[in-house]
Amino acid sequence: MDQDNRVLGRKGARELSEQEVEAVTGALKVRHTLTPCFVDRKQQLVNGDQAIGECGG
Amino acid sequence: MKIIVLAPEDDNHTAPIKWGLEKAGYKVVCWEGLGWSGERQASLSVANGNSLTLGPHSVDPGDAVWIRRPEPPLPNPKTAEPDKKFAGLEYRSLYHSVAYMLEHLPVWCINKYSAARTIIQKSVQLHLARQCGLKIPATLMSNSPESVREFFARGGRTICKGFTPHVWQKEGQRSVAITETFELTSQELPADEVLTYAPAIYQELVPKEFDVRMVLLGNRIYSYALTNTEKALDWRQDAGLGHVKAEIIATPPEVEQGVLAFARKSGICTGSLDFGVDAQGQWWFLEVNEQGQFLWLDQFNRECKLMEKFCAFITASEGSTEPLEAREDLFPSLAEYEELLKNEQVPPVNKPRQEMDPFLSMEA
Repeated sequence: MDQDNRVLGRKGARELSEQEVEAVTGALKVRHTLTPCFVDRKQQLVNGDQAIGECGG
Repeated sequence: MKIIVLAPEDDNHTAPIKWGLEKAGYKVVCWEGLGWSGERQASLSVANGNSLTLGPHSVDPGDAVWIRRPEPPLPNPKTAEPDKKFAGLEYRSLYHSVAYMLEHLPVWCINKYSAARTIIQKSVQLHLARQCGLKIPATLMSNSPESVREFFARGGRTICKGFTPHVWQKEGQRSVAITETFELTSQELPADEVLTYAPAIYQELVPKEFDVRMVLLGNRIYSYALTNTEKALDWRQDAGLGHVKAEIIATPPEVEQGVLAFARKSGICTGSLDFGVDAQGQWWFLEVNEQGQFLWLDQFNRECKLMEKFCAFITASEGSTEPLEAREDLFPSLAEYEELLKNEQVPPVNKPRQEMDPFLSMEA
């Protein structure tokens, strides 16, 4: 894939390895954790049709 | 008086809080959001007095309506193909009519829809925060290469972040890439063309010693220092990976005053706010999410008792000045709920759904 035409947000995105994804989703299964952002992305929908984000910093 | 929650019953905040409120004797009903099926239909009558029904539930004077996270409007899939676009827009309009009307009925909206829609905008958040005396980093939101380069020319360190979160997953793999705040130098800026592919937020880097997640509940403010052993600019993924600690911290009086003024000006009564605290102890407002997640703080630190506090908040009267701590013991803790969840004595949360995830893209 041509990486020169990717958006800046993708270039700066954090890569999570399969193991890291497992660690987070594993925590989800065990603790039913209410993670502030990651796997809970489905829950980022608000008010019917508008998306919000918690990924500030 | 009942509590109406606009969200699916298995939403990860709705489910435990509904359980907690019911355990304390309160009546709670959920409406998932507008849709074609019976339990998702809505009727709003403004003929002789106002009446509103959401699925099987009437909205009555004195109710509290928590506009948590309703599902997007869902038209009937059997609608003829040439009519789908029209039907979709009509569903959206009815949903907006209902949501905006709620704040004109004799009910308490948490939050008012009009306030929620406005304060979702990051530009408005920063503007109001500054007006209320909170310290904010210099910020540019733009898709103009010229403006972006000019912003970098001011000197100093700069971060870049998106307006919304997004996840990219490689076809056939489990590894992902997720949007995150990252530092960017003028030398790293891509070609002008790339800056027009997607707008972004460029912001003066706050030299943070630690982050603060703050939870606003009416006129009460609760702050938690988040220390990240990874020292990353953005703590969120590290929180999921167990690298973050949450400690209860006092809010400086001038920050508390600013946040309460911000709440009054924006019209929100609840929200999750993010601050960065620098070496001089100055609190920098970064953003607010009016329906942000907060129960995870109870998992990181059982002393937070945010589940109990939120239950006390939502069952008090609108504008109540009674301390939430005076009633928080009426409600069970998140730990009790989680124990039941573990033993499958309550329904599971966050059941997978079939519809397209707007925050996920597949890539080769």
